[in-house]
Amino acid sequence: MRPFVYERAEEARSAVAAVADRPDAMYLGGGTNLVDLMRLGVAEPARLVDVSRLPYDTVGVRPDGALRIGAAVRNSDLAAHPAVRRAHPLLAQALLAGASGQVRNMATVGGNLLQRTRCAYFQDITKPCNKRNPGSGCPAREGDHRNLAIIGHSEACVATHPSDMAVALAALDAVVHLEGRDGPRTLPLTELYRLPGDDPRRDTVLDPADLITEVTVPALSFGGRSHYRKVRDRASFAFAVVSVAAALDVAGGVVRDCRIAFGAIAPVPWRARRAEEALRGAPATEDAFAAAARAELGQARPLRDNAFKVPLARNLLVRTLTELVVA
Amino acid sequence: MTGIDTRAAEGARSAQGIGQSAPRPDGVLKVTGEFAYSSDLWLDDMVWGATLRSPHPSALIRSIDVGPALAMPGVLAVLTHEDVPGDPFYGLERRHQPVLAVDRVRYQGEPVALVAADHPERARRAAAAIVVDYEVTEAVTDARRAAFDPACPRVHEEGNVLRHQPVRTGSVFEAPVVVSGEYEVGMQDQAFLGPESGLAVPAEDGGVDLYIATQWLHVDRDQIAPCLGLPAEKVRLTLAGVGGAFGAREDLSMQVHACMLALRTGRPVKIVYGREESFFGHVHRHPARMRYEHGATRDGRLVYVKAEILLDGGAYCSSSPAVVGNAASLGVGPYEVGNVAVDAYGVYTNNPPCGAMRGFGAVQACFAYESQMDLLAEACGLSPVEIRRRNAVSQGSHLITGQLIDAPAPLADMLTELESFPLPATTGTGSDLRDLPGGVSQTTRGEGVRRGVGYGVGIKNICFSEGFDDYSTARVRVEATPDGPHALVHTAAAEVGQGLVTVQAQIARTELAELGVEEVTLVPADTSVGSAGSSSASRQSYMTGGAVKTACEAVRERFRELAAGHPGLSPAELVERFGPLEETREYRHRPTRPMDPLTGQGDSHTQLALCVHRAVVDVDVELGLVKVVELAAVQDVGRVLNLLALEGQIHGGSAQGLGLALMEEVQVVDGRVRNPSFTDYLIPTILDMPPMRMSILENADPAAPYGLRGAGEPPTLSSTPAIAAAVRAATGRPLPRVPIRPQDIALP
Ligand SMILES: Cc1cc2nc3c(=O)[nH]c(=O)nc-3n(C[C@H](O)[C@H](O)[C@H](O)COP(=O)(O)OP(=O)(O)OC[C@H]3O[C@@H](n4cnc5c(N)ncnc54)[C@H](O)[C@@H]3O)c2cc1C
Ligand code: SF4
Repeated sequence: MRPFVYERAEEARSAVAAVADRPDAMYLGGGTNLVDLMRLGVAEPARLVDVSRLPYDTVGVRPDGALRIGAAVRNSDLAAHPAVRRAHPLLAQALLAGASGQVRNMATVGGNLLQRTRCAYFQDITKPCNKRNPGSGCPAREGDHRNLAIIGHSEACVATHPSDMAVALAALDAVVHLEGRDGPRTLPLTELYRLPGDDPRRDTVLDPADLITEVTVPALSFGGRSHYRKVRDRASFAFAVVSVAAALDVAGGVVRDCRIAFGAIAPVPWRARRAEEALRGAPATEDAFAAAARAELGQARPLRDNAFKVPLARNLLVRTLTELVVA
Repeated sequence: MTGIDTRAAEGARSAQGIGQSAPRPDGVLKVTGEFAYSSDLWLDDMVWGATLRSPHPSALIRSIDVGPALAMPGVLAVLTHEDVPGDPFYGLERRHQPVLAVDRVRYQGEPVALVAADHPERARRAAAAIVVDYEVTEAVTDARRAAFDPACPRVHEEGNVLRHQPVRTGSVFEAPVVVSGEYEVGMQDQAFLGPESGLAVPAEDGGVDLYIATQWLHVDRDQIAPCLGLPAEKVRLTLAGVGGAFGAREDLSMQVHACMLALRTGRPVKIVYGREESFFGHVHRHPARMRYEHGATRDGRLVYVKAEILLDGGAYCSSSPAVVGNAASLGVGPYEVGNVAVDAYGVYTNNPPCGAMRGFGAVQACFAYESQMDLLAEACGLSPVEIRRRNAVSQGSHLITGQLIDAPAPLADMLTELESFPLPATTGTGSDLRDLPGGVSQTTRGEGVRRGVGYGVGIKNICFSEGFDDYSTARVRVEATPDGPHALVHTAAAEVGQGLVTVQAQIARTELAELGVEEVTLVPADTSVGSAGSSSASRQSYMTGGAVKTACEAVRERFRELAAGHPGLSPAELVERFGPLEETREYRHRPTRPMDPLTGQGDSHTQLALCVHRAVVDVDVELGLVKVVELAAVQDVGRVLNLLALEGQIHGGSAQGLGLALMEEVQVVDGRVRNPSFTDYLIPTILDMPPMRMSILENADPAAPYGLRGAGEPPTLSSTPAIAAAVRAATGRPLPRVPIRPQDIALP
């Protein structure tokens, strides 16, 4: 591991200044992803600015019912928060489906959003990888890609975003609050992430000095009728093979509104707008759910060894929606 | 020795004799985190070793420049193959594995150079600064090609087939019912928690003292000493706390390296592998590709079996020849069949070296032959239990090697008992989420879930086979203390977590009861006593248990003579007046024979053990998720020495078999390991492992001490095929490969 300087930020502006000045400085949250990447030689910051003790460590409910989540809130604390469990069960479920109790106790909201892909080639610095080393190639395309993307990927990169929490937040129209070189700004979470195109280096649109300070989740009248479901290779403590976050508003057997996002099938938490479109006003039946899944997954371009994710994502969505009708 | 904590091996004080669930002396320390593992070894003046490894599965080494590393602050030594003081090669069965790569590397992770520095991070950085000029060469990664394609490059001069063991008997290879299949077993890792580690301390006599977590102190010493150019007596090993083994500590890892650095620097040297390095620092279970054909009569009696078993041994020999021997001799399972043509091959490739892991060759074959038995059951219209019962061996049967099964082997009765266990209730809507496929991921409330039941049968050889002159040594000393006679038991046997320290004390207490011995202390295992052999092949209760028993008997014999001569004295007075009484004994099992190289015939095994499993699974067929609802097992252990420890072995073995069935695989692509971490190499969690139902039989083996039968490995064999069979029953899919993953299960 490359030697680095560690400093703890006392407030947001000075943290931003500390990183903005130096191209080789990075923010440190709980360190559960970044430190691993440093040990692998994938990340080589010369300076770590610890933002996990900044005063963004609470969860609150605004008068309009929106949730305010500090970026330094630990994943365990967010999952356990009564307001989250009540109004947005899918968010609590997504958090609890991720990692292990120990990791969740360390991991922060900001770090979770910005964790990097689990693509094995990305993590192996002896291999080419366009994300790590632009222009070097993408061995995953022909190599081991069983757990990589079926949708939204490009010739240059087929990685998936690994976060569970971000999938729930994508479905919930969360908004990310930032402190940057030019002061504060906000960004819808779905616009935070970017598709790889021919430049897979950056997962997000953020500038390296952009500090995530908060995430807000607008009130959703039918948020209580929501689920996060995750298929994985063992019963706990494993990344998703496919996951889905869904909230459903049904009246008189008809879908009035819905929110759907998929995880582990795309380079970003995949908000399924086509499926939502197809569902609004449709009967709340299995057939309609399957048609909605087709509307979304019709765009899928699976690779040699991950075609199974298409029916898997479909089955998971149909199953989840069907149950939300009954619930 | 200051600062070295050997509490690990000490203090086995049990209040109970054999047959009791005596508590582990190291149990509380382990649970409370106070147990000193080898990675906790510490001396104030020690320095740290680090290893530079090859990034390539196959390459020539043009040059190595250690200059940049030597120039770094805190670096005391940088060593390459040129610095190996003695024999540059070591190995369990063939001394051909370089201590440090000489002119080429044969697998990713092969050690190339060593550094000693005053801080572990400095040592690692210095290792990274060494410049190695590689010329990458074609890597041989396909075992079938390595074995059978004459145009394939050779990994070693001797050729790529390291052992071919045929078994031939009978001549009838036609039958009314024929089933065939091709099967694959992925590369499993032992996944122990305590990484490879040890501390080498240079001694005044020019030798070295090594504190090390291993499975067999003496075989380590006998490989280390020649490499160091030292006589065996100048290389002294003491067992440090072992954090699991499962076969992965049979081969050397950092032993010679730490000693070389210690001798060069004159300082104690500690080496501890990290988790990722550990995946490259030990052998794995051989991945296997197998073709089977079974012929039977219409009523399901086996007529013949043909099999080809291909085991990928990776870059070096390790214990592959013995693994091949087991796969061949046990290749059809515990079934009576008169006509057999089995060919087992071990092959060199540029994949990670494979060697010992719990079940050792028998595991791979078991998955294939049990899959075949299920196909046969279906073809003959019989139940899985019935087809197995009809062909089951029993006492008086012969193995395909011609060896007579001369001890009880009540397989048919075991199956009947297993089948009679009540089946668990159907899980369904409203069940606890944790009981459903997908568990707390709440992928289902019961929809899409189908139940399946499967059976598996396994046979494992216990102790070393094929003519190996195996023995264990025990020194027992009874001396007087103010609290009465006290026994010291000294062996070199490695406690690797299996509970041997508990059992040794139980045996001593039992055998020395008439001397009034209640307190038993185990002397830390080291090489100052004779070899105990390996903590592998499920053999230590048998062998070291046998040695402790024999040494105790010798002490007791002397005591009886004294007692006869002094009728007025109490046991305590006798020990006080004539003690200490000390005897050392070697224990040997009955001899075995090599397998005939052409026919495989011969009495190659010491003891045979059977275990049978029933698996009940719920499969979410739409999402490809499996929940093992229950595992039930019947195992014949001959004699229970410690029920609690035994149940632990059966649970653990079954869980390891479950891992192989459903998730555990070292993924190797083009000779490179893709998942060297516990984030990516998945082992079962408590949520994956179901409750177990068990029946333990005690049909004594008259040849073994107390009639016991080694118990650690057999459950690892049969749980895998039982689970695979259950998943097949639920899904209707052929599933010829383990681990079975979601994508292998039908997604309609
Ligand atoms: C064994 C294991 C299993 C896991 N399993 C799962 C799983 O199943 N599902 C899942 O979703 N995740 C899983 N994870 C990933 C885990 O959720 C992430 O590692 C964690 O959420 C990252 O949070 P952190 O605070 O530790 O981030 P860090 O590692 O500290 O940082 C991650 C990145 O975010 C940046 N960063 C941190 N905070 C901020 C901020 N406030 N503003 C701007 N940038 C910031 C850092 O610079 C870094 O680039 C697993 C991790 C491990 C180690
Ligand atoms: S998929 Fe993306 S991250 Fe993986 S190797 Fe290709 S470019 Fe790199």
